[in-house]
Amino acid sequence: MRPPALKIGISGVRGIAGESLTPRIVTSFAAAFGTWCGPGTILIGTDTRPSREMLAQAAVAGLLSVGSTPVCLGIVPLPSLQYHARHSDAVGAVCVTASHNLVEWNALKFFGPDGSALRPSQFAELTDLYHQGFYPRVRAEDIRETRTDASAVAKHRAGVLAAVDAGLIRSRRLTVAVDCCNGAAAEAAPEFLRALGCRVIEVHTNSAAPFPRNPEPAAENLEDLCRAVAESGAAVGLALDADADRLAIVGERGRPLGEDCTVALAADHLLGRRGSPVVVSLPTSRLVDEIARRHGSAVHRTRVGESHVVERMHACGAAIGGEGNGGVVVPAVNPCRDGFVAMALLLEMIAERRAGPEEIRSQWPPYAMVKRRMPCRARDVAAFLRLMRHLYRDDELDLTDGVLVRRPDRWLHIRGSNTEPVLRIIAEAPTDEEAQGLVQHALTYLRSPG
Amino acid sequence: MVGEALTPELTVDFACAFGAWADGGPVVIGRDTRRSSPMLRAAVTAGLMSRGCEVIDMGICTTPLLSFAVRELACAGGISITGSHNDAQWNALKFLGPDGALLNAVKGEELLDIYHASPCGATPPAWLAVSAPPPDVRERYVEHLLAAVDGGAIRRRRFRLALDFCNGAAGGVAAEFLGRLGCTLVPLNAEPGGTFAHPPAPSPENMRQLSRFTREVAADLGAALNVDGDRIGFVLRDGRALSEEHTLPLAALGRLARRPGPVVVNLSTSRMTDIVAARFAQRVVRAPVGESYVVDRALEEGAVLAGEGSGGTVALPAGMTFDGLLTLGIVLEGIAGEEGGLQSLADSLPRLEMRKGAVECLPDRAYRALEYFRACYVSRQPDFTDGVRIDLQHAWLHVRVSNTEPLVRVIAEAEDAGRADRLFEEAMALARRAADSARGGVG
Repeated sequence: MRPPALKIGISGVRGIAGESLTPRIVTSFAAAFGTWCGPGTILIGTDTRPSREMLAQAAVAGLLSVGSTPVCLGIVPLPSLQYHARHSDAVGAVCVTASHNLVEWNALKFFGPDGSALRPSQFAELTDLYHQGFYPRVRAEDIRETRTDASAVAKHRAGVLAAVDAGLIRSRRLTVAVDCCNGAAAEAAPEFLRALGCRVIEVHTNSAAPFPRNPEPAAENLEDLCRAVAESGAAVGLALDADADRLAIVGERGRPLGEDCTVALAADHLLGRRGSPVVVSLPTSRLVDEIARRHGSAVHRTRVGESHVVERMHACGAAIGGEGNGGVVVPAVNPCRDGFVAMALLLEMIAERRAGPEEIRSQWPPYAMVKRRMPCRARDVAAFLRLMRHLYRDDELDLTDGVLVRRPDRWLHIRGSNTEPVLRIIAEAPTDEEAQGLVQHALTYLRSPG
Repeated sequence: MVGEALTPELTVDFACAFGAWADGGPVVIGRDTRRSSPMLRAAVTAGLMSRGCEVIDMGICTTPLLSFAVRELACAGGISITGSHNDAQWNALKFLGPDGALLNAVKGEELLDIYHASPCGATPPAWLAVSAPPPDVRERYVEHLLAAVDGGAIRRRRFRLALDFCNGAAGGVAAEFLGRLGCTLVPLNAEPGGTFAHPPAPSPENMRQLSRFTREVAADLGAALNVDGDRIGFVLRDGRALSEEHTLPLAALGRLARRPGPVVVNLSTSRMTDIVAARFAQRVVRAPVGESYVVDRALEEGAVLAGEGSGGTVALPAGMTFDGLLTLGIVLEGIAGEEGGLQSLADSLPRLEMRKGAVECLPDRAYRALEYFRACYVSRQPDFTDGVRIDLQHAWLHVRVSNTEPLVRVIAEAEDAGRADRLFEEAMALARRAADSARGGVG
């Protein structure tokens, strides 16, 4: 039997569907969330994982039991769900999605009435209710009726289109390849791109089919998209993860730019119009610092996790932020990572500069990033991190989240995952060999006993 | 009770256990019109899917229709979400096996063992969504009911029927079935809904509205179905409501004339059925109280009819659970040849006096109270199958622990009122003393 793999943290309640993430746990958490939100409607959406209906039904049962009114949106991109939460009278929203995780995983993510993920302190309140079993049930006559709502995608599309110069993008008649990983945006993303006047080459846009690839939009998972871009001569390739909150870019020559580039290019584009601080999580490319410096803007770095980034953005009034995993946040449109916002900004940038993303990227110095993961039980994370602290004691260290080793033109970051029982080891350096070397050095010590 | 003991978590776990019991095969589900039923439906769906079961949702549907669907669609089982005859704030799950019958004692124990061992497990979800049944399954059920009764005889009489649905699930199929039997249906409380016009058990006190209605609309007879359509009670043309104890003997009069065979009843059921069966020279077999015991025994005995004093009756092998509509069909078949209709059939039933009462007794003390009782009646050759039953030549007495409430129930029946009162009062006094002594110190 596999080790237990339930993870309750700020990214939600995550586990292997039916095994560690049982319908019973989902029912109870939904009941606790309904209690936390108070009376009113709560939106429920899912991505396309096969466990979606099982877990959505469990959530509906829990919400009904505490007197909430569940509104089922069906399969829906996560940013559309969040946008809808903000622009409807909902008191909260739940998404059944494990985002970039493999297909057997799933998770419940919780959102407040403004559509943003619960802040760490709010999530702590929710888990307190759950652990105390405090979710008073209503009497039979006070149970509400479940509703459905299919308007979220169209409302979200209109909101994003209004935030960019759609006319300019349309006038360029771009050819765009999009890979939706047969996920929640499989219909919504091509439709969105057509609304921007694009000729769309669809890759993995069948929401009824299983995931064709690892949903993480990392370079090594994007072969099909790269080929489609090369064959069609598309101006850009766009890769979304299963719930469409993250975007990775394939350049006009059919080569992946790396997920880090998404927030960097979006920042370059937006900062060209208005000054604003930029908020990113610790292991996000230095490219962001270079770009912000050129625009005279400050960069704030936070712990890994969307809610940390969004909370800091709120505090410092940032117009743009995100993470190195392809997540871009523009609070003026949607207070969360939004793959549609990222796509719109990128296309607007391409249209404005009349240049492909690889060409735009090449104006900046090259950085290579290497990401590795090592299985590690949660209880062992601290010991490994102590080991790293000791190993790199002579370097400049940032201990905000795990151990970040800073050197003049490179960095190495080791931390425990918020979502899986693994250690994540990430390095960035001017060349791939140098980045590989940093990661290998750390791994040598992490893998040796003691 | 919803909001208290019956939580969605408990429901999820029981559905998980049932999914395991059904080996991950297809399971049909249906629900009554209670407000809490959609919540339990969601929980049941989640639990079954987690065990890899295909979930075929019949929506709002009676328990007998669900039982038919289990057999017709060759499913591994069924779950009926219904509080049946209980009040609106109650709800429950009824588990059906692949034969369409409620799980019997052995299968029920299997399910409980799975539930206690490990409610959930690692089955990757095999089904992406809830399935819809074939659209004609209701139609096939109506055909099935029609094949079980003598439609020609019923159609000739062009009956006018007042039917009280108690805002339950039976409306649609009832209209279709009775329409094809040439009957005119005058419905009462036909709007499916979460609030019931009256408590759902088809007893005379709950049929007052139907009694008036039957007279007002000049129907040939009135009938009341409970919310999930497994029980039925009858009202005569003049508005007189018959006790639910009459349902089974009325059905027996209709059925045994056309299809002779043994009848199974429970230990508390009126002797009216015994007397009717004797007219057709048929055996009556008694099982412990509860539909699953009665139907299980009926299958074992090859019975043609089974039922209880609650108004729950089924004609086998057409039905595998109590079925109010099938019972109505059989009673109509029985009165088709009677000039005086239901009135003359009811008049031909023996007149017996029944008394029912109950004494409060906590479940953990109930066995001790029964022991006391046994000791008192040991000289009268009691039957200990389910509590204590004494059979006398002109009367009988049954004392048992309720399956659903913290009560000891006392039922007595005799051919005359005086004898019934004496037997009943004597037993009630004993029951009170038994409950008192059981409540006392450890003895």
